[in-house]
Amino acid sequence: MGNSKFILVLILLFVGAVDLLSVRAQVDKPASMKGADIKGRAPVNREILRVSLPRPTRIQLSNGLKVLILENHKLPTIAFSLMIKTGALSDPPDLVGLAGFVAEMLQEGTVYRTSEQIAGEVDGIGASLSAGASFGASTSRVGASGLVDDSEVLLDLMSDIVRNPTFPADELNKFKQREMADIQRQRSDPSFLARERFYNVLYGDFPAARVSSTLGSVEKVTSEKLKDFHSTYYRPNNAILGVVGDITPNNLMPLIKKYFGAWEQAQIPSDELPQLMKLGKSTIHLVDRPGSVQTNLIAGNHSLTRKNPDFIPLNVMNRILGGGPASRLFLNLREDKGYTYGAYSRFRSGIYPGPWSAATQVRTEVSEPSLREMLREFQRIREELVPEKELDDARRAMVASFALSLEQPSTVLGNWLIVEYYRFPEDYWDRYPEHVAGVDDKVVQDIANKYVDLDHMQIVAVGDELKIKKGLDKLGKVITYGSDGRRKDGQ
Amino acid sequence: MKRQTRGRFYGVFLVSAFWAATGIVYSAAEVRVPKTAFHDVRLENGLRVLLVEDHSAPVVSMAVTYNVGSRNERPGRTGFAHLFEHMMFKGSENVGTGEHFVLIFNNGGSMNGTTSEDRTNYFETLPANQLDLVLFLEADRMRSLVLSKENLNNQRNAVQEERRLRIDNQPYGKSILEIDNLAYDNFAYKHSVIGSMEDLDAAGLDDVREFFRVYYAPNNAVVSLVGDFDRAKCLEKVKKYFGNIPSQPAAPQPKIIEPEHYGERRTTIFDPLARLPQILIAYHIPRGNTAESYALSVLDSVLGSGRSSRFYQRLVKEKQLARNAVAQADRRRGPSLFYVMAYPQPGIPVEKLEKAILEELEEVQRNGISEQELEKAQAQIRRQIILGLQSSLATARRLGEYVVKFNDPNLINTLFDKYAAVTKDDVQQAAHQYLIEKNRTVVITQPVQKSGLSGSSKPKGRGHGKQ
Repeated sequence: MGNSKFILVLILLFVGAVDLLSVRAQVDKPASMKGADIKGRAPVNREILRVSLPRPTRIQLSNGLKVLILENHKLPTIAFSLMIKTGALSDPPDLVGLAGFVAEMLQEGTVYRTSEQIAGEVDGIGASLSAGASFGASTSRVGASGLVDDSEVLLDLMSDIVRNPTFPADELNKFKQREMADIQRQRSDPSFLARERFYNVLYGDFPAARVSSTLGSVEKVTSEKLKDFHSTYYRPNNAILGVVGDITPNNLMPLIKKYFGAWEQAQIPSDELPQLMKLGKSTIHLVDRPGSVQTNLIAGNHSLTRKNPDFIPLNVMNRILGGGPASRLFLNLREDKGYTYGAYSRFRSGIYPGPWSAATQVRTEVSEPSLREMLREFQRIREELVPEKELDDARRAMVASFALSLEQPSTVLGNWLIVEYYRFPEDYWDRYPEHVAGVDDKVVQDIANKYVDLDHMQIVAVGDELKIKKGLDKLGKVITYGSDGRRKDGQ
Repeated sequence: MKRQTRGRFYGVFLVSAFWAATGIVYSAAEVRVPKTAFHDVRLENGLRVLLVEDHSAPVVSMAVTYNVGSRNERPGRTGFAHLFEHMMFKGSENVGTGEHFVLIFNNGGSMNGTTSEDRTNYFETLPANQLDLVLFLEADRMRSLVLSKENLNNQRNAVQEERRLRIDNQPYGKSILEIDNLAYDNFAYKHSVIGSMEDLDAAGLDDVREFFRVYYAPNNAVVSLVGDFDRAKCLEKVKKYFGNIPSQPAAPQPKIIEPEHYGERRTTIFDPLARLPQILIAYHIPRGNTAESYALSVLDSVLGSGRSSRFYQRLVKEKQLARNAVAQADRRRGPSLFYVMAYPQPGIPVEKLEKAILEELEEVQRNGISEQELEKAQAQIRRQIILGLQSSLATARRLGEYVVKFNDPNLINTLFDKYAAVTKDDVQQAAHQYLIEKNRTVVITQPVQKSGLSGSSKPKGRGHGKQ
């Protein structure tokens, strides 16, 4: 499970000019919350260090390839990231994982290089070359990074695997063996079992329900199917190339044209997503994992698309509820109750509504009280206005943390790729802080009522059925599954 | 794979943190690794302070590294150094329970604490205008930790959940602990950082008090700060916040000696949570920051780093015996281990894969590595080191770590040269000397079907046990 199109809610801005924007310093009243005691004696600087995002240079090649180049001269490095605007979301139902198979097989041989030659050239310059298509995402990605002196070698390798892969049958057979081992191995991981069930109950027949390829799809895939997918979707007019590093656009563009300029464009078939089903009544889905000493709990709903104007308010609400260790879920379940090592909530958003979810892992004996506390926190944020201090802390944290992202140029580039992909206005990141500041307590409550939907919440518990079912029964309707993913009642 | 560093919030398994598996060679034509200019000062109370001005981003990172880890624990109190680390967030004279991390996150920062065998560190990154905040928070808990039974019980619970999350509820979790347990005879490294449930249960307030007094003194700690500040002003602030914390008598440090081994040790763990077998192999090797250690780190790259590595090309691709196979030369302050971890392809007997792994090691002993492989490993290591310089926090942590573990902060600039100095002969010689049968420990994990849930462990061993 990865990110790609589903960009986890990371906030970012970059340095151009750093200025101190004074946010009216009020004296902190010591306020305590569950799980933490605030004495208020530490010297907090109430000014928020505001930073503005450095902009990349944007160029479009005549074949339609969009290029974003972000300069960063701290280190002699460079990173290329090619986004193909078709991903696992487009996998045919009988070939789940196809986009991922294509991406992973890119490195297994091209017209000009064998798999082993590619590996040798990449490792020989100490570089990284990667490709993947995460489940739930509408894009595939190819990445290449290394030292700036090797820029041309990297472009040569990257363009070769992107443009000229041959998907050799013998390499495909080996790949299938590895993939089948992974499919088998992941079933021992409790977090995989939880994710598999959660996405299944949240998305049903919608393609975001898939979290893994299947033995059937691995068996079925052929070189021809990979070639078809590749020649249809790996086209410059269906791609965005992001670059960040110790370069200037003037120096780099001739190389990009040399390696990607002759890449032929083609008509991309339009790809309609099916209708997302409405969630049914709230249900607890118990996945039996005999011998489990913990229960993995996930509870959630559909969230929203990335373009939805509720995105920033949901971000603020989520920060208060479970976005980090200073949030309610963590402070309650861990710091106050000692039920868990961690408890967080998050949401993803893309071209369709991703999940909003809260998750924790607790010892078997406290499964029921833990879920009870989670539900209590959901209820509380829906019913009570968030106190001003708590809201202010959340908003300040979201804006102030932009400064930290300046140390991660690839994250900054990622933010610009979001702007490009979703066609947001140019000043999207400049205006982000004021949008955050505009979220008040009423908005937080409205958003909580809209997205933390208790009536339709789907809850997954992976644990030892014998020990936890009785407790969960008290909290709602329970459906039980085996660790093979099948319902135990045979339905 | 190995090297568990216990994070307080987000698990940090320092697998091959860049500083760990690294090295570099550079000729005039090659990209040079940027140098880090640090200032190294000792306050009157013995606190060592390292400062690096870095104006590339408006942030400041701080690490406080204490010269204590699970190596300092005594029998009956395993896991204590890590449990103590959690207590450092439960309040001090002027900072309430949990206030430390609430303030850091609410002001846009990030933080964590980690414990390893060899040291314990606490670290934060914040917007640069919060320098006073972070200094105040770290100094207050070094000076005046507040202890209560309630907080101890609360964090004992959190730590025990951490152990369940990472070990007891994971496939192969017990095997990871067993390899050190079986390989080492010295107690300091034999037991795990996370500790046993019984020992965690046994820890009391008196233990916490004593541990704090002995190990959490300024003269047993290193403060490193990297970021967007003026060095002289920053040092003044460090003195202001930390200068009056009293020093303590020098903390005892264990002398860790691993007796010579005279035979292979081996066990099989039957794991009801696993679906596929796993092979873990460990060899006794010298401590970190030695010529042999760097040579063995180069070898772990040649064997298992990247798709062109020997393990990947031969065991995964060509022979299709393994799903994956990696190697890692650990770099502790004391006697270390060279680990190999591999998963067989379904249907391949573990014996067959193990034999193939051992043949790869013998091949290195017999014929060494090629010049090209050496250069490739050095190129990979060089790039990792350069990438590691991106973050101010990584630099702050490395500086503290290098002082506590090797008393050499300048390793941040010379690490390169150490790897550059490694020759093909060094690699072959080290493989010949250390990767041998009598130095070897093997832990095989076999899945079992759901009936027996206890996860029994059956030693079956040639030479199992001491000597």
